[in-house]
Amino acid sequence: MTEVVRAPAIAFPAAPSRADIGSPWRRAFAYALLLAVTFVLLYPLLWMVASSLRPDSEIFHSTSLIPQAPTFDAYSRGWNGLSVGFSQLFLNSLLISVLVVIGNVMSCAMAAYAFTRLRFRGRGFWFAMMLGTLMLPQHAVLIPQYIMFLKLGWVNTILPLTIPKFLAVDAFFVFLMVQFFRGIPRELDEAAVMDGCGPLRIFLKVILPLSTPVLATAAVFSFIWTWDDFFAPLIYLNDIEKYTAQLGLRTFVDSAGQSDWGALFAMSTLTVLPIFILFLMFQRLLIEGIATTGMKR
Amino acid sequence: MPNAAAASARAVQGDDLAGYGFLLPWLLGFLLLTLGPVAASFYLSLTDYSGLSAPNWVGIENYTRIATDDPRFITAMTVTFTFVLLSVPLKLIFALGVAVALNKGLTGLSFFRAVFYLPSLIGGSVAIAVLWRQVFAGDGLLNQALHTLFGYEGPSWIANPSTSLYTLVLLAVWQFGSSMIIFLAGLRQIPQDIYEAASIDGAQPVRQFFKITLPLLTPVIFFNAVIQTIDAFKAFTSAFVISDGTGGPIDSTLFYTLYLYQEAFTNFRFGYASALAWILVLIIAAFTALSFLSARYWVHYDD
Repeated sequence: MTEVVRAPAIAFPAAPSRADIGSPWRRAFAYALLLAVTFVLLYPLLWMVASSLRPDSEIFHSTSLIPQAPTFDAYSRGWNGLSVGFSQLFLNSLLISVLVVIGNVMSCAMAAYAFTRLRFRGRGFWFAMMLGTLMLPQHAVLIPQYIMFLKLGWVNTILPLTIPKFLAVDAFFVFLMVQFFRGIPRELDEAAVMDGCGPLRIFLKVILPLSTPVLATAAVFSFIWTWDDFFAPLIYLNDIEKYTAQLGLRTFVDSAGQSDWGALFAMSTLTVLPIFILFLMFQRLLIEGIATTGMKR
Repeated sequence: MPNAAAASARAVQGDDLAGYGFLLPWLLGFLLLTLGPVAASFYLSLTDYSGLSAPNWVGIENYTRIATDDPRFITAMTVTFTFVLLSVPLKLIFALGVAVALNKGLTGLSFFRAVFYLPSLIGGSVAIAVLWRQVFAGDGLLNQALHTLFGYEGPSWIANPSTSLYTLVLLAVWQFGSSMIIFLAGLRQIPQDIYEAASIDGAQPVRQFFKITLPLLTPVIFFNAVIQTIDAFKAFTSAFVISDGTGGPIDSTLFYTLYLYQEAFTNFRFGYASALAWILVLIIAAFTALSFLSARYWVHYDD
């Protein structure tokens, strides 16, 4: 994976080379400040994980980050705390997220390829339309989409959450890929044309293999955003056995509510865990994606 | 060469077919899931549609009622604007401060950068909203800490309508990481020799910051401000989870999107909610347009 992550083309300027940062005092001050910020930022997170390992009686009496007698009781209470096991909810989330990743990467790459490499009537017009949808808030289409999916009988299925992604509705990713494809030298396409390749083979054999960084960026962000998404599952899924992990967690707040914070923290920790693992694996890719494209999260 | 010419002629001829072939998924999505719904939601906003019977045309009645006879709309606007106007500047100032501190060539840069980014990656999730509910509850982490450190017995910050919104502002500021990363990338574009020249001229670091760093960074500040403001207008999950979907206590966290959700999906007033949605879209559009208009007076583009 490091090959993908380290791949060039997304440039991140090197750190300033000057060694001088003023006096040792100022350097010490900067470090103290940064460490203090780190502590304040991470403290609630670490405390949540620590509390998930505590017996309930201890949670409200301890601000420390180290549980005295760690126990996984809260995890087993939480895992089976709803009428449907969390294993089902995690599988639901995983299925939806993986389908969204596949849909987004495929359909957005196809659109970006058409916009950057193929000449056809109306291309400029459709490209302008695509740019126009970049800034369009979801709220402008929300209610008619809901009514449409309701009439199609798709509400309370995963179809409204996944099918649109196969139709490249996330214009942001189309735009990201357009930018990337433009950087791939056209000589490569021309050489492939001379070898008798048609548009489909150029797409599959030239463009896609050279685009792994941008495809990986789109895939990782698609997964994280879908896994974290709350609004769409909230309006489209009704039966608890179809819930995503996020919806299940929110339902768990109501049922376990104020009484079982340990179990609540245990399940909270588990729903964040996949994101955290992806963060560790693709840290560079994520940070460079943000730095070069200005994604909001 | 004739072969190549023939091949490329063939490619061009086939390009209408190939072009629309590759564009087809996007084109379907654009027509069916964007263009159609945009038109439909504008039409619905002029009706009393509730999902049960056919929509009745009511003209601009929904809009006039929102403007003149809807106290919860006023509340939602007040809450949302308070949230946007507090959280965005605070987040950006914090992000810029940390980015400047990180840009001093300290070792451990990539560690700090990653750690500071983590909250923005997970901050929008239900889990973090759950955590926030506990931290700011009456017997939550914050009050435990205040008790241990100062012997102070704090109130429930979440249940108190005069403080509940500020816990959400704090949650937004906590997610300053992605803005910080963009600031860092911007800071590194500033040529070091400008600072060296300024140092030789005897400019102190504070003066350098205000006379060099800040002006040269205005395009990045502008970009971050626009992105973060649009995002703040659309905030939903944290308010929903923390207030149990009510926007409470007593509507103190009734974000605009939350009010929109309640009207559409709890009260099934699709027509009215469509009008609310259009007003939000127009507010965001107006804000974006104003930002771009104002940019020429304060954003410094070097060319």
